[in-house]
Parts: sequence; C-alpha cells; structure tokens
Amino acid sequence: MTDRLLITSSPHIRAPKTVRGIMLDVVIALVPACVAAVIFFGVKALMVLVASTVSAVVSEYLYEKAVKRPVTVGDFSAVVTGVLLGLTLPPGVPLYVPIVGSAFAIVIAKQIFGGLGTNFVNPALAGRAFVLAAWPLHVTSAWLNPLTMDAATGATPLHAFKGGQAVGSLTDLLIGNRLGSLGETSAVAILLGGIYLLVRGVIDYRIPVAYLGTLGLGVFVFGKPGALFQGDPLRGILLGGALLGAFFMATDYVTSPVTPKGRTYFGIGAGLITLLIRYWGDYPEGVTYAILLMNLATPLIDRFVVPKYYGYMHDVEARRRAREGGR
Amino acid sequence: MESKRSLIGEFTKGLIEENATFRMAIGMCPTLAVTTSLVNGFWMGVAVIFVLTFSNVFVSILRKVTPDEIRIPIFVILIATPVVIVELVMNAYLPEMYRLLGIFVPLIVVNCLIIARAEAFAYKNSVIRSALDGLGIGTGFMINLMVIGAIREFLGTGRLAFGSVAFPAEPLFEPMAVMLTPPGGFVTLGVLMAILNILVRRAQLRKAKASA
Amino acid sequence: MKFISIMLAGVLTSNFIFMQYLGLCAFVGISEQFETALGMSGAVLFVMTFACTVAAAFEQFILVPFGLQYLRTIAYILVIAAFVQLVEIFLKKTAPSLYKALGIYLPLITTNCAVLGAAMLNVKNDYGILWGTVNGLAGALGWSLAILIFAGIRERWKFMKIPEVLKGFPLALVSTGLMSLAFLGFSGLFKTILK
Repeated sequence: MTDRLLITSSPHIRAPKTVRGIMLDVVIALVPACVAAVIFFGVKALMVLVASTVSAVVSEYLYEKAVKRPVTVGDFSAVVTGVLLGLTLPPGVPLYVPIVGSAFAIVIAKQIFGGLGTNFVNPALAGRAFVLAAWPLHVTSAWLNPLTMDAATGATPLHAFKGGQAVGSLTDLLIGNRLGSLGETSAVAILLGGIYLLVRGVIDYRIPVAYLGTLGLGVFVFGKPGALFQGDPLRGILLGGALLGAFFMATDYVTSPVTPKGRTYFGIGAGLITLLIRYWGDYPEGVTYAILLMNLATPLIDRFVVPKYYGYMHDVEARRRAREGGR
Repeated sequence: MESKRSLIGEFTKGLIEENATFRMAIGMCPTLAVTTSLVNGFWMGVAVIFVLTFSNVFVSILRKVTPDEIRIPIFVILIATPVVIVELVMNAYLPEMYRLLGIFVPLIVVNCLIIARAEAFAYKNSVIRSALDGLGIGTGFMINLMVIGAIREFLGTGRLAFGSVAFPAEPLFEPMAVMLTPPGGFVTLGVLMAILNILVRRAQLRKAKASA
Repeated sequence: MKFISIMLAGVLTSNFIFMQYLGLCAFVGISEQFETALGMSGAVLFVMTFACTVAAAFEQFILVPFGLQYLRTIAYILVIAAFVQLVEIFLKKTAPSLYKALGIYLPLITTNCAVLGAAMLNVKNDYGILWGTVNGLAGALGWSLAILIFAGIRERWKFMKIPEVLKGFPLALVSTGLMSLAFLGFSGLFKTILK
C-alpha cells in the first residue's frame, strides 16, 4: 500500500485525498466528543485521552524504528487510533489501561502486519478488546458521575435500560449528562463529528445507517424484557457505544467492505451481533465485538458480494442464449 | 541417510538448531494449550520427552523389519504405547496434573513432532542415536513450553509459582487475565516467533555481509 | 435444547481453533487458498462427524464391556485411521469426483488432533453415540468457519506488503489471537436460556 489513498467516487476533484488528509478530518470530527468528555468528566478524561494517544504515537514510532521501516507517525493514523481507544474507556480507569491498550492496538493489531492498510481488524477496537479481557473489572466499572466527577457506584444507564428501568430524559442522553465511557455519553458530539465526516465525503452513509437501523429495529422488537415489539429504539441507540462505533469504527476503510452492497451487509451484521451480545451474551455491550467480528467477515463479504458489471447476464439467461446459437 | 554428527551433537541439536517450536514450527496445539503456567509446561515436557525417546527407540529397533508401505500405521502404534504408559502413570501419581493437562496427554499420540522424528530420524538411524535425538528434541520442546508458560503465568497472575514456592510473594502489578486465555496464548507465541525470526534474519544478513 | 447448546458451543463459544487449540497444524498449513480451505473443511466435516460416531460406538460396545478403557488412546487412533482409510476406498469406488476433491486432504486428517480431540472430549463429557456425533459435527463446523475466515484474510495478504520474515507462523498465530479475541464476544451466549 502506498501512502496515497485515491478516492474515485464522483465528482472527481483534482486534489486527491491523502491518508494524512483523511486522518486529519477524522481527528477534527473527534474534537467535539473529546471536548464533551472533558467537560463532563474533567481532568481524568483528559488524562485517559492523552495517555492513549501518546502511547499510540510512541508505540508506532518505536516499532518502526526497531524494524527499520520509514516512520509513519506523520500520517495521523496512530493519533486517530489512540483517541478512539481512549473514547471507548471509562473515565476512571488507571492510566496503564489506555497505555497498554494503545500499544497493543498499534503493534499487534497493525504494525506487525506491515502498517496501515494491512491490518484486518480495527486497531482501536482490538486494543479495547484486549484491555477488556486483561482487566475486565476496570474497563467495565471505573465510571465517574458526570460534572461532579466522583466515582460512581451502580449500573450504567445501558444496564438499567436492559433491565427495563427508566433511564433519564432524552435531553440528558443527547448532551451526555450520564454515566458511560468517554465517547459514548454525548450523542450530540458524536453525531456532529459523524455529520462532518459524511459531508466531507470521508465515510459512506451505508454502514452507520444499516448498523443503527438494524440495532434500533432489534431493540424495538426485543428491548423490553418479557414483551415483544415494545422496546425503545431511540434510547437503545443512544445508550452504549453504538453511535461511536457506527460512525468512527465500523467505517474504517481498511477493515470494512469496498462495495456499497457489502457495506450494507456489514452494517446489518454488526447490528445483529451487537443485539445478540447485548441481550443474550456475557458482556454488557456488544459494539466492540460486533464490529471486530464483522472485520473478520469483511474479506468473505468482499469475495462473495461483487457488483454486477455492465453487460452482466444471469447464468440461466446466458446458457439459454448459448443454446439458441447466440454468442 | 544416516546422521553423521557426534553423539553429543545428536542431543544438543534439539535445543536450538532443530528446536521443535521455533525452528520447525510443529507441535503447536499442546504448546499453546498447556502453557498457562510454568509447572504445566514442565510436566507436559516431561511426558513428551518420555514418549519421544521411547517411540524413537522402538522405531529404530524395528526399522530393519518394518515394511516401507505400512510404516506410518506401525509408527502410530509404536507411539501410542508409551503414550498409554504416560497416561496411566500420570493418572496414578499426578492425578491433579493429569486433570489439568486434560486431553492433551492422550493427544501426544497425534503430535506431529513425534511422528516427524520417527519418520525423519529414528527410521534411518541407530538405536543410540535415536534415543539421544528423542531426548534432545524433547528437552528443547520442554524448555519452550516452560518459557512460554513462564511468560504467560507471570503476566497473567503477576508472579511465578513452582510447587509451593512463588516469586515474588505479592504480584508486582495488576495481572492481565487475558494472558491465560486463548488470545493471550496465540499472541504470546506469535510475538515470540516474530522476534526470533527477525533476530535470525539479522544474524544471517550480518553473516552474509561478513563473508562477502 | 441440548442440540442447540452443543452446536452453539462447537461453532461459537468454544470453537475448536479459537478456544480449544485443536487442529492448529492444518489450520495454519492449509489456509493460504480459499478453495483448498473449502476442500479441507468438507473433508473434516465428513470425517470428524462420523469418526466421532464410530469411536463412540467402539467405546460403548467394545471398550466398556471388556473393561479396556485404559487402551482408549491406542484404540481410538486405530479406529480413526481405519475409518479414514475406509472412507478413502469407498469414495474412490462410489464417488470419484468427490474423491478427487477431498482425496488429498483425507490422509492429513488422521493426524489432525481435532478429530481425536473431539472423540476424547466426547468421552470426557459422557456424550454417548448420538450426542457424540452431534458434537463432532459442531466441532467440525466451528473448525471450518475458522479456517474459511482465516483463508479470506490470508488471500488478501497476497496483494499487500506483508513483512516477509514474519509471513508464516508468527503472523498466523498473531492473527489467530486477534480472531480469538473477537470470538470472546460470544462467550456466555444464550446461557441463561439454555441452562
């Protein structure tokens, strides 16, 4: 892979987008979420974000120096990985969690395969899955109360919601005045970033729409314990990490399908697996694993979902014409 | 083709030069499955040394009378015999360890390491050489298991234990539970092999440069 | 219910490759091409399912009545080897095209620890003939799913700049680790309903 990723969808603007340009756009899109996290959770949130970002960049630099490859820190992809990983963690985690998580994300999930473009899972999510398996207690319980910033006891709103309890007003959910990971609390901030990426043409709408649509539909059907078709799809989407995952992680170019149809399937699959894990699995939330698992399926989706090319004929039709002596 | 090494060389080649896991990349399943601790690695290693030495000796003794066409089934039976002995002995004297290692003790019988040595070495060499080869390759394998076991145990529990002795007394850091799970095992072994491959490659390049 | 829970365990929650470390040699060795991985999956599906049937029957009708359980390892490996041989001969005579497709993989399966492992797990879990067969099928499906996913990933490596010194086992193991990390997500799936 060269460091120049050509986007060829129309309109063909003369200046081709570089990896650096795309990654910068993603960083810009992540700013509102980071600001919201710092407003609600204070210095601790800032420390987590700084630790994960610095660790990601330093890991990338050190690994590339160690194996004598050109250093690619300047393309900002490590920064994106670091910030994304930080946003998936609770604000109260000890700082070694983001540091180890980012190092794993960069070295094991990406660099060891040869750097950006060769990884088959989203690095930030691999890092999160690793620290979640390494220190499950920290990653699922180090919550802080918003604004007061003291350690919170008790379940997150997602947990309460799954149990069928009331979970606060929609306004609080939208602006982010609730317990949760850094980047899952403020829906408005994430949406702002997501819309920016859509407008700039950095991401395709299909994956987030298919993902959130499937998830919402599923929550509507299964979301209320003991009754079908009475769930609250809006809260089901706003609670948990689905928004961050749908806009910023599932849309990763390297690890999602290339065809439009494939992307729709990717989103639907991720939605279904999220539901499966959220309601019937061991983990409280399934976004991380759902996207990772769809990353694994991406090569197969690309293999079997190929676009019809111009002049395509169905097999049966082709055989009929051949029989009738046509060419 | 018969081996032309010194007898000591037959033993020592298994430690580094023909190291089962890192140079020949065989015997992966038990290497990962039983290496959640140093002690597990040790006992699994002992079992493999025993089986490999005896199967090599048996194969070598019978090599002149074994028909070429059906040698593989015969090897399998010759390997299965010491495996059954190990199973029975472990079950009697180390029941706790036998339970921990689980199906991977009987599965030594299909470990490609054993059949590879039978086919590639014992079938062509004298009894004494085959015995030393088995001991050497087996010891190398045991060291691998113990090293991987030690790394995973240390990171996964924060300390190392052997019998009733544990070091350090208190974990040094928050243990990473993931190291004891399958993902931790795969990644640990993969990273170890990656580091080794890079170092070997560098050494080769240096040698090539020096001789040029 | 038992059927669903065995199937779910074999394919997702305790996948042979990702969670039980069984059948790794073939998994790494035969996953470079999607087509060959598909062929091997077919062979494993067939052999593993019915090898479990045969081994469980052997256990129930010969080893247990005669008190020979301590010879299980020898007995099983012989039964499996003989079964694979029979399948080979049978396929050659009756279904030459299928034989052509699966033939080269069949001998490899005798030493695939997943098959013997499945038969041994059946004894450990006291599954008997019927559930033992189901477990063999489930394990084989899980194994096939794993190798097909991995073959998909590896095929892409042909078009990428992957570090040459790491290409074989090191990256295969690291990738398997990442895949098994993703499969951790399935842990405990439906356990409240099934138990």
